[in-house]
Amino acid sequence: MSGIPIIEGPLVREAAPDLAPERPPGTMSRRITLIVVLGLVLLFPFLARPLFSSYNYVMQLGIVLLMSIAMTSSWNIIGGFAGYISLGHGVFYAIGGYVSALMLVHWGVSPYLSAPIAGLAAVAFGVVAGLITLRTRGPAFIISTIAMLLLVLLFLDNWELVGGTDGLNLPLSQLPVEWLKWPLYYAMGVSAIGAVYLSYRVAHSKFGLGLRAISQDETKAEVAGINTRWYKVTAFALSAFFIGTVGAIWGYTLTYIRPVAFLAIAIAAGMVLAAIIGGRGTVAGPVVGAVLIFAVDEFTVRQFGQTALNIVVAGLMLLTVLLFFPQGIVGSLKASAKLPAFLDWD
Amino acid sequence: MTHTVQVLVLGLLLGGVYALMASGLTLLFGVMRIVNLAHAVFVLVAAYLAYVVFQALSIDPIVSLSITMPVMFGLGVGVYLLLFPRIETSPRYVEMTVLLTFAVALVVEGLLTFIFTGIFRSTRPGYVTDAILVGDLFIPTGQLYAMVVSLILLSGLWAFLQLTRSGRAIRATTQNRTAAQIVGINVRRTSALAFGIGMALAGASGSLVSFLFPFFPAKHWQWVALLLALIVLGGMGSIKGAVMGAIMLAVAAAFVSDRFGPTWSPITFYLALFLVLLVRPQGLFGAKLRL
Repeated sequence: MSGIPIIEGPLVREAAPDLAPERPPGTMSRRITLIVVLGLVLLFPFLARPLFSSYNYVMQLGIVLLMSIAMTSSWNIIGGFAGYISLGHGVFYAIGGYVSALMLVHWGVSPYLSAPIAGLAAVAFGVVAGLITLRTRGPAFIISTIAMLLLVLLFLDNWELVGGTDGLNLPLSQLPVEWLKWPLYYAMGVSAIGAVYLSYRVAHSKFGLGLRAISQDETKAEVAGINTRWYKVTAFALSAFFIGTVGAIWGYTLTYIRPVAFLAIAIAAGMVLAAIIGGRGTVAGPVVGAVLIFAVDEFTVRQFGQTALNIVVAGLMLLTVLLFFPQGIVGSLKASAKLPAFLDWD
Repeated sequence: MTHTVQVLVLGLLLGGVYALMASGLTLLFGVMRIVNLAHAVFVLVAAYLAYVVFQALSIDPIVSLSITMPVMFGLGVGVYLLLFPRIETSPRYVEMTVLLTFAVALVVEGLLTFIFTGIFRSTRPGYVTDAILVGDLFIPTGQLYAMVVSLILLSGLWAFLQLTRSGRAIRATTQNRTAAQIVGINVRRTSALAFGIGMALAGASGSLVSFLFPFFPAKHWQWVALLLALIVLGGMGSIKGAVMGAIMLAVAAAFVSDRFGPTWSPITFYLALFLVLLVRPQGLFGAKLRL
């Protein structure tokens, strides 16, 4: 995996010995990775067109993958950096979906315009919910996030104005079928890139350092002068934004939304699972985890059809990771200094 | 007035079954500090087992306790030995138990959905549609039986914990794990036993639930939230607390259901959970849930 030193090994450093500040090792390979990945995301619709006959299906897969990258990276801000495991992040997804859907149905606002507003609504809810749930720690926090999820589910299920359990039908897009998925794909792409960038910025800030301190020992962090409450609530709210925006876009992709499409526990579990398998608390981990879970999910659905077996596989994967390498793929590789430089985004 | 008493009675009847379900959960937390998110899914496993023996062999769900309890006991000991000794030394042990049992819940839910599909099931022994009239009060027979069985089992649990050697070992481990080890208790074996008993209680609840509420695989999330609310209110680890919490919340939910309709009754549990975590995280009788 490490063909990297060839590019910027001793030669480069000898050529400019007193060039300060020196680049940390692996900068080049990380840049190349970044350019290749961004290029792929950008060009995927063009590349996929001649390659696949079931074009819209492949585009749909791209949409789902970008969405889960955005969600997992966002979840990681509170669940990974701060170490507060939330099983209730489906709530932000639902809020995003419903805010945008209601704006479309009642005022005819395009979901592409309302997605950021949906994200902000999720953030606003995150502040309020965070102020309440983050008064607890550890297992009590996890329990209260489950209760938060079920509470929101109960409200949406019984609120006639938003369709209740029957759900809401959204007006269809007027685009011709072969272009239908394009704006959805790029909107998800923007959210995914935004979420990873946000995660990167948090990881490299004083704020992120504070969150890590909280995750290691909250009492000591508090003694060291970190305003832990403010940090945690901010992290919780920040983690809501891109989950809200992808909720908005996903609702439009579905064209018919109902509470359980956003609030099924399996969706919240998906974020936790992908982040933990990839390595929570790292920038690259959630992305790696999301790609892996996406691949496994697609594989099980192809092998066994649409059965419940994909949750079984997901659960078994989570068990294996927790028991044998709880730091996840990126975390474990990093701990044993085997992480290829192109994945070291921290 | 009669109406109020009627709602109270219905709440109390359900409270017994809730207490039985919650007692197993709180026992696991007390002895092993395991927050078992899979507790309700194991109740469901037992409910499906009761359903299968009811359908195939027409064994009455109350009689099926004699099958579900030992099966679930064995399953519990197996699950404990397979998963928990490995993580005993983990730095964030309690959090780890939440995640592990969450994963177990996903696996079991998926398997149940695969085998039984997502449609509603229930066992229908003859007495579920009967009721007894006491004065003006209407007492559904099925719920009455379930309440009686729950009371018997809870008394049995109490007697076991108070009077037997193993019961005392479990209580000692609850109070102080290290000290229990020092006085010569085999903590690992005691934990496995407690896990088995907790699961057997889940098994018994499953048999009762099978005729009280129609069930489908994904329903266990609502139940586990409900059970966690009960034991957080009562104080995690305290069996007395779990019983009190169950009765209080079941009665409260019955009144909410009466006033606002049955769809809103779960809100009682979620709001109670938030309220207790915010105001008095240690609950009524328990150790503070801040680990």
